[in-house]
Amino acid sequence: MGLLILGTAAAGAGLLWWSVSGTAHGRADPSDGLVLGVWHVLYDTEAPTLPTLAAAGGLALLFAAGVATLERRIATRARRSVDGRQLPLSPRHVMAETRGVFHGDVTLTVLVPAHNEAQGIAATLESLAAQSRAPERIIVVADNCTDDTVAIARRCGAEVIESVDNRHKKAGALNQALARILPTQGENDLVMVMDADTILDDGFLASVVRRMSDDRALMAVGGLFYGEDGSGLIGQFQRNEYTRYARDLRRRRGQVFVLTGTATVFRPRALRTVAAERGRLLPGVPGDVYDTLVLTEDNEITLALKSLGGLIVSPSDCTVVTEVMGTWRTLWAQRLRWQRGALENLGAYGLRPSTFRYWAQQLGIGYGVIALFSYLLLMVLMALSFDSWVWFPFWLGTGLIFTVERVLTVWRGGWRARLLAATLFPELVYALFLDIVYLKGILDMSLGRNAQWGNHTPAPARQEVDA
Amino acid sequence: MNAPLLTTLGILFPESLVRSHAFGVLAAFVAINTMVYVTLSVAKALPKIWLRDYLPRGYERAETRSIHPDGEV
Repeated sequence: MGLLILGTAAAGAGLLWWSVSGTAHGRADPSDGLVLGVWHVLYDTEAPTLPTLAAAGGLALLFAAGVATLERRIATRARRSVDGRQLPLSPRHVMAETRGVFHGDVTLTVLVPAHNEAQGIAATLESLAAQSRAPERIIVVADNCTDDTVAIARRCGAEVIESVDNRHKKAGALNQALARILPTQGENDLVMVMDADTILDDGFLASVVRRMSDDRALMAVGGLFYGEDGSGLIGQFQRNEYTRYARDLRRRRGQVFVLTGTATVFRPRALRTVAAERGRLLPGVPGDVYDTLVLTEDNEITLALKSLGGLIVSPSDCTVVTEVMGTWRTLWAQRLRWQRGALENLGAYGLRPSTFRYWAQQLGIGYGVIALFSYLLLMVLMALSFDSWVWFPFWLGTGLIFTVERVLTVWRGGWRARLLAATLFPELVYALFLDIVYLKGILDMSLGRNAQWGNHTPAPARQEVDA
Repeated sequence: MNAPLLTTLGILFPESLVRSHAFGVLAAFVAINTMVYVTLSVAKALPKIWLRDYLPRGYERAETRSIHPDGEV
């Protein structure tokens, strides 16, 4: 699976390599120049020809516009579909089913899955209670807790559901809780799933209630997450990354990539339909809301809802603050899990209209890895081959453009974010780290290594489905 | 401080390496990739304009999407 993506990216790179091999030539000697009449500098004015620049730029724009157009067409088709069998959550179908009936005002039930979260659960529950539109019910789903999580949750006024014989971590605990709660929920009794290490910004729930009241076809609202303060440089790298991600989503007007596990609100119809369609339109165990066998259940349920035609958004006024990894080791483990989870989910869903965007994204990452490594190889070879420093005005110019883009895209993150972005190279090293995680994920998958959380759980009757 | 370091390292590979055909191909490959990413960077940095916002709406909703059947269309 992973090798297929990387192989395709490599094939693309190979074709480009072959196309330039006929016309490329070695470099001429650098020229000697005098700056301000004092400094002798060696410089090389070589730059790609104008047609090459135009072709490369055109190709990039064509690719980006092509992906965006296709994604829009696929979304529009799903919205307008009346095929309740293949797209049971499509807006037009849902609207037809709920037409003319008032199912009651919107209510909010929040599920907070928690496994030994004594440290942060009180702050999370307090942030929920302090929302301008507080939820009707807050339920902590305690999974194999051996600390004070349950006692603290009760002290904060939350209900507690303790999982029973759960061997499937967060997804398994949530499935148990949802099996008890969903049958009692009406059409507009929303269910929110929120991590125990997350704080909602004020206005989150008010915005959700307004949107869900205004649009009965809306199936889920996901949060936009920002990194918490602290953890020094590694924390800032992640905050910059999240700030850029949030900016991308704002520019997409809330069109979701992933309904974040940190905080997402679902209409019960969405969750019931997902559970009903597992084993038919969706992979997984029939009757389960969350697929217990995947590494990233939030990514999986996003694919599930999209595959069923569900309308989902991540509005810019629904923001949450989530934890950042404090060490390279924990960041490595988190990203390896995300990366492998995303690839495995794509493998399970196959190539279908709802997954097209994600395949394109993975292909983009694969090509990015090749591009970054060849850039670094070129830089190292160059630095080790000249016996004095040579300036390349054209490439300095492009570096400047990159720097401006890096700074502008984290502008909202404050002066620390801008400063880190302006130095360019540290973020390049961070990108390199993420690329290595990507390669490790692909290697592990290809060798069939188990990326579970530790012990392997025997699989129940999971059913794969063809797209 | 860089200059002495690079002088030492410069001996690692002969300077003729950068004038070889293979190096030229690598440089051209990287150049095109870089231009692709520069274009995407510029596109990302520029403000996004939604042309449709400035055009008259070509459709009208046939019914309300509100949970209230008598809600606004």
